[in-house]
Amino acid sequence: MRRIKKFAAWVLALTMIVSLVLTAAGCSQGADGGGDTGRIVIWHDKEDAVAEALEQELTRLVPDVEFVLEKKTSLTDSLKLSGNDPSASPDLFIFAHDKIGVFAEMGILAPVTDFVSEDALSSYLDMTIEAATYKDVVYELPIYFETLLFMYNRRYMQDDEVPSTTEELYAYMQENTGRGRYGFVEQHSTAYYSAAWIHGFGGSLISEEGEPLLDSDEVKEALAYHLKFVELMPGEAEYSTVNTLFIEGQADATIGGPWMVPSAREAGIDLGIAPMPAVDETGLPLSPYSGVQGVYVLKHAAENKTETVRRVMEALCNPSVGIALAEASGCAPANTVCYDDPAIAADEMVNAMRDTAQIATPMPNIPEMDVMWTVTGNLLSDVNLSGEDVDTAADAAQKQALDLIAAMQ
Amino acid sequence: MSLKREKRRDNPRQKRLPSNAKQRKTTFWSYLCSAPSLILIGLVVVFPILYTGYISLTNMNVYHWFDFDIIGLDNYERALFLVDSGFLSALLATILWTIVNMVIQLVVAFVLASLLNIESLRFRKVYKTLLMFPWAMPGYVSILLWKTGMFNSQFGLLNQWMEKLGLEAVRWLSSDVSAFICCTVVNLWLALPFMIMIMDGALQSIDKSYYESAILDGAGWLRRTVSITLPTIRPIIGPAVIITVFTTFKQFDVVYLLTQQAGAKTGSHFHTLITYTYENAFITNNYGYSSAISILIFVLLLVFSWKFHLEEKS
Amino acid sequence: MKNRKKMRKRAGLACLNLFFIVLCFVTLIPILYALSVSFNAQNSLLSSDFSFLPRQFTLDNYREVLFGEDILLWFGNTALLAVSCVAISLAVAIPAAYCFSRRRFPGRMAVIRALVLLNSFPAVLSMFAVYRLLRPLGLVNSRAGLVLVYTGTMAVFSLWNLKGYFDTIPVELEEAAKIDGASTFRLVRLIVLPLAKPSIIVTGLMVLIYVWNEYIYATTFMTGEDKYTLAAGLYSLQATEMSGSWPVFAAASIVVSLPVLVIFFLCQRHMVSGLTAGGVKG
Repeated sequence: MRRIKKFAAWVLALTMIVSLVLTAAGCSQGADGGGDTGRIVIWHDKEDAVAEALEQELTRLVPDVEFVLEKKTSLTDSLKLSGNDPSASPDLFIFAHDKIGVFAEMGILAPVTDFVSEDALSSYLDMTIEAATYKDVVYELPIYFETLLFMYNRRYMQDDEVPSTTEELYAYMQENTGRGRYGFVEQHSTAYYSAAWIHGFGGSLISEEGEPLLDSDEVKEALAYHLKFVELMPGEAEYSTVNTLFIEGQADATIGGPWMVPSAREAGIDLGIAPMPAVDETGLPLSPYSGVQGVYVLKHAAENKTETVRRVMEALCNPSVGIALAEASGCAPANTVCYDDPAIAADEMVNAMRDTAQIATPMPNIPEMDVMWTVTGNLLSDVNLSGEDVDTAADAAQKQALDLIAAMQ
Repeated sequence: MSLKREKRRDNPRQKRLPSNAKQRKTTFWSYLCSAPSLILIGLVVVFPILYTGYISLTNMNVYHWFDFDIIGLDNYERALFLVDSGFLSALLATILWTIVNMVIQLVVAFVLASLLNIESLRFRKVYKTLLMFPWAMPGYVSILLWKTGMFNSQFGLLNQWMEKLGLEAVRWLSSDVSAFICCTVVNLWLALPFMIMIMDGALQSIDKSYYESAILDGAGWLRRTVSITLPTIRPIIGPAVIITVFTTFKQFDVVYLLTQQAGAKTGSHFHTLITYTYENAFITNNYGYSSAISILIFVLLLVFSWKFHLEEKS
Repeated sequence: MKNRKKMRKRAGLACLNLFFIVLCFVTLIPILYALSVSFNAQNSLLSSDFSFLPRQFTLDNYREVLFGEDILLWFGNTALLAVSCVAISLAVAIPAAYCFSRRRFPGRMAVIRALVLLNSFPAVLSMFAVYRLLRPLGLVNSRAGLVLVYTGTMAVFSLWNLKGYFDTIPVELEEAAKIDGASTFRLVRLIVLPLAKPSIIVTGLMVLIYVWNEYIYATTFMTGEDKYTLAAGLYSLQATEMSGSWPVFAAASIVVSLPVLVIFFLCQRHMVSGLTAGGVKG
């Protein structure tokens, strides 16, 4: 009898747990289970201002569709988990173009050209469409693009002091570095930033076919040359150190993304933006990576909500979207029509970005690039921070890259 | 004393053997009462291991995301190639890391908890609460605070103090040894509050009358500690200690976020087993291969704990 | 003679207090640092000349944390999660731990040993499997899913920790009550639970702190800022290079930690063992 009572108590408790679980499960839906309900879920990892601008534009252009913009901090990791599952993944998402290869190979992306005519894409900057294309299929509708810019603090570096070559930059650094001040700082041991130097030597991290090139002569030369600049920069150079040095006025110049501009202006810095200096030896300018941000369509949404997705994608081609997002993010629109807008045409930042885009290198979008970020980062920290020999370190990194790429298969 | 009793209870043969029917009833009710807990563990702890084992036999990767096949033991064969000098030195570093961290943790926690239990210490509640603060903060927040607030070579508090003392600025996280020490400091800072709390709870459960009679017998502090305190708290803190050993061995956040984070590497080569395999396997998005490595590490851990258990017994 | 002894005792106590004050200060340096940054009007965590007392005192950062961000919403989410996780963890662990401590049945030792070994599986990769588990249950992106994961993750610790403590409670007490005709349920409620209070509180706290601080599952499985927990929200505040102001982040990290500290302070009174107070002599 007593045992039964005790048992009943626990059964009761368990039922409570289960019912709690089930009721809560009822209200848990990602996109809809299927069928075209006129509701579009979009994942993003952008600042609030960008998301709000996008939502406003979309609601204005397609008023009868309900848009749910959800911020996802680890967007790519989550997508790798949820894949093409309609109940857990979004209908569309916004991300840079460098993960296209991974997601396309996984088989969760629908081609953009199923919804948008080739004609509509013809007004986009070639660079952005190239970046959005993987194995001859366009998987991303470009919205805006970003790249790193040479920024300087006019209080310390006069406009006529801005270096046009790397040797000039080095001379400036030698003169202005010391006693807690730096002539120039950058995230010298991060692959995304240092790739600019490698490109400036005509090298590249990985070939279009997915062959790592870390032991190539260009890469080794670039690393060896870059080293003397690193010696005049702080030893730790992750983003918080570099950004703070520049924003606190302790560094005269830096290479940074458009996201640095608002905080620099807020700190009262008279910000100048200049073209990248050219490498004396090759005559090529430092060429940073550029990232094309755009909208992707997941396969399940393409199949189940074809009509709604088509209308949304067509709306996203509207130049007003590019203009609104460029203003919110400080980046440059991908659609050339946007530049007819007087506000965009007059924007100093946008123009600098567009100019740099001419010399910038779009990030590779092949899946093999995924492991190159880590390997290159290791190589840079080995050479710049641990003082290892460039040749040995580069050869070791090349081997690691080959191993990892082989392990992907 | 309670220890003797514990032993007697642990040996069912000394008890009067219950009848078969009664035994069956006990078994049934015991499992029924434990069922909710065991089911939860089965779902969240056991199922992932089995599932990982299953995936390790397939070729699931970026190129075969939905259409993966069972390919047998190929992944294990490839995983064994990862066992090179880098892997072995990471393994050694991890063992050293676990031992150093556990020894310091246990000794410091024991001493502090004993001091906190001195009866005339009036503000112990305040001290205890303050000492718990590191625990109340999300781990990555603390690690970030340490990394940028303390160790950063430009702005870190440590280097600002060094400067005031007229010493050279130090790059704390860039060499292997100092990175190991820094990681250990942060790990201790994060882990000690829990250990102090467990020790404190265990110390409080000791019946004070044992000490009274021991003092009457003229036993000194050391003797009392060795013959009363340690044996009594051992079974109580045992579970927590064992679980902490595994957590320390598996530690990822501290080492990765302080020194190895992609884009913020500091130049140190100190890797634990998990950060090493993360960098050399998990980033490939090859789930089959990564799963095989996870299973291998798991087997390695099983062998260690089995050996450890044997030594403990003898 | 007596006076001297008293003096020495007092001096020792003073030393001890001093020791703990210094220790607390040293331990809290990183937190004092965050505190100072959060009260400072200048916009930088990484100021190159630092003092523990902010030069320009401001509460703006706290105002922004409490009203500018969704902290209050996240706080509610976390509190709900934490309470359900602690309740469920204890509800499932106490009966199981009691059975494993008191009853003798086949498979008992095997299960206990297996549990701790299984718990050693590196969690870096179990994320994927956990996802595969939650999806068919429809629990992705739901709080119930998180509750399941959290209680499951902590279940081994809870079971083990409570069992270890139950083992130290003399069985004679229960046997005496049994002779008086008490049921097992009454026995546990009236004798075992009060005696095991410290351990139950420690276990509950442990679960609470885990839930409070966990962010990996919370950010990966939950979509949308309105469903974040505090730790996940804080993580998203600093995760991207583009966002996040350091003083606000510092203020947020202090705000997040305070509730746990208050709970800890309140629980301490109850963490004194029933054994020392009770009339059990060995």
